[in-house]
Parts: sequence; structure tokens; C-alpha cells
Amino acid sequence: MNIVLLYLLLLKGTVTAFAGLASLPVIQESLVNHYHVLTNEQLNEAVVITRSSPGPVGLYIVSVGYFVAGLPGAVAGWLAMITPALLIIPLVHFVGRRMEHPRVRSVLQTVVIASAGLLLAAAIPLGRDGLTGPVTIVIAAVCFLLLLTTKIDTLWMMLTAALVSLTASAFGLMAYL
Amino acid sequence: MQHSGRQAAGERPSLTQIADVFTRYANFTLGGGSATTAVIHGEIVDKRRWVSEEQFALSFALGRLTPGTNLLAFCVGIGWILRRWAGAIVALLAASVPCTLFVMVITVLFAEWQENPFAQAAIKGAIAAAVAVTVKTVWTIAHPYFRPGNRIRVVLIGTAAFALHASAGISPIDVLLLAALIGFFLPEPS
Repeated sequence: MNIVLLYLLLLKGTVTAFAGLASLPVIQESLVNHYHVLTNEQLNEAVVITRSSPGPVGLYIVSVGYFVAGLPGAVAGWLAMITPALLIIPLVHFVGRRMEHPRVRSVLQTVVIASAGLLLAAAIPLGRDGLTGPVTIVIAAVCFLLLLTTKIDTLWMMLTAALVSLTASAFGLMAYL
Repeated sequence: MQHSGRQAAGERPSLTQIADVFTRYANFTLGGGSATTAVIHGEIVDKRRWVSEEQFALSFALGRLTPGTNLLAFCVGIGWILRRWAGAIVALLAASVPCTLFVMVITVLFAEWQENPFAQAAIKGAIAAAVAVTVKTVWTIAHPYFRPGNRIRVVLIGTAAFALHASAGISPIDVLLLAALIGFFLPEPS
């Protein structure tokens, strides 16, 4: 895939998302469903990689870029991640004064809520590819409960999940993962 | 900058100092971006007095409303307040290059590990946890708006967005544009 096109497609995701993983549905739509240069499995892996590293969640776009086009793709991902941040400059300059306008607040709010709905829709194919047996389903369910009820850091959660899965396979339960 | 409150009492930092602070404190966000922002607050407002409380709040609030990674936008905002364009660019590079390199190394190793059956088992477990994290993020994104008087609106818009994409196959961008239109014409009841 052409690097400039890849950058633009990734940018389309980051520039329309207002939180780390909220760009995921747009990325999934263009790179997985439309261009077929990425699989849902790789998208899942990209999320795992960022969640197991100390940087912001939006970094998953760097892994996505790498999976699509190697190192140049990763650079395209980095550029797509940092470009929208520059938009804060005109915001700090001008919009700071109009923040109390009800319509401005309302538009931002509906976009954020809709992106939450979209993320839930994107989780369905991710779950279908990632949860393939009783072990992974139980891991996902337990993690979800822990996320709702505790403040456990996701890094520890992923490491423990990896360890549980590894132990299960060591006991010959590979077929149940 | 009359809209961003009084100036901080401290001296204007050099580009090297800006690079130093953001390299050290903006690349490690385990436990979420809010913790990182708190650390940066301690450093640039309390300790070094580069920006005032009002300037910090302005950059923080607008960072949350800027598309993409909120933390990066916040860093750019602070960089711009401190040294305009040069400060913004230095802050952006310092806050994004180290963690990007780190992720690239992990991604490359990840591709190698995929050949190993034990590593594959571990990766499968981690991916199952990631699915749970993705679903939880839905709530993380929506819950600041889920307050009394606004709950039906949140549920309706969220469900509509979900259904339009998952069932009707409408592309995410179109769903978001539609949401923006609805937000413009039907403001939140106050």
C-alpha cells in the first residue's frame, strides 16, 4: 500500500476520534474491510501491544502502520498520531472563548457519545476473532468484571491473562484457548 | 493571550528544558493519561512555575476536545503557550518519539514471537483481555456525559450509532457526521 495513502487513511481515523481507541472503528472499516491490508487479528494485536507498553493508547496506530507496511508504515502511523495534536493551537487561540456556547458543547458531546457506540460495534468482530474457546472467553469475562469493579492497571491484567493462557496450554489445553 | 489568565511567575523555559520535561514525563502513561497529566502539573505549575493554573486548565480542557491522543494535544498546547510554534513542535516530538520507538520494538518482537507455540498461547490470553479492555473503553468514553437529565440522550445516541454501523453498515465517519448534525440542531437540555 502507498505510504501517503496509508498515512491519510490512518489520519482519517485519528482526526475523527476523541479518545485513544475511538479511532479503531474507522481504521477497521478502511484497512480491514475496504482495502484488506490488515486483519482483525492484527488489529487486536496492535491493541495488545500498546496496552503492554507504557505510552498512550493512541500508539496502537504505529503498530497498525507497521503491520501494513513495515517501518515506513510505522512512521506513517506516528505522523497520523501526532498530526491532530496540532489542532489544539488554533483551539487554544480562538475557541477558548467560545467554549460556553451550548451548540459547540453539544456537537462535541454527541460526537463523543456516537464514537462510544461505534467502538462497541467494532468490539464484535474483535471478539469473534479473539475469543475462540472456553479459556479465552473466561479470561475476557473475568477481565471485564475486574475492569468494572477495580482499578487494576491494564498492563498487569494483560500479563496475567497471558500467563493464565500460557499455563493452560502447558497443561495440554491448547485446543480450548 | 488575554483569555488564558495571568502569566506564571517563573522564567520562560528554553526549548531544551521543554524537551527534557516532556520526554521524561509524557511518555509513560500506565494507569491512564490523567495520572500523567497530574505528574506534569506538579512539574510545570507547582515546581517550575512555567505556566499558571489557568493556562494549564485551558490546555487540559482543549486537549480533551482535540481529536486524536488527548495527552499529545495537551503537550502541544502547553508548548505553544510557552514558546509558540517552536515550543509546540518540541513538546510534540518529546512526548511522542520515545514511546513510538518503544512500541515499534515491541511490534517487531511480537511478529517474531508469533512463530513460537507457547508465545502464541500467551498472546491469545492477552488478546482476550484486550477485547475486554475495548468494551470497557466504550464506558470510559461515554460516562462523563452520563449524568442526570442527559442519560436518555446518551443511550439513544450511543445505541443509534452502534445500530447504524453494526446493523445498517453505515461507515463510522458518516455516523460521526450525523451525530455532529444532531448535536448542532438538538443541544443538550439544560
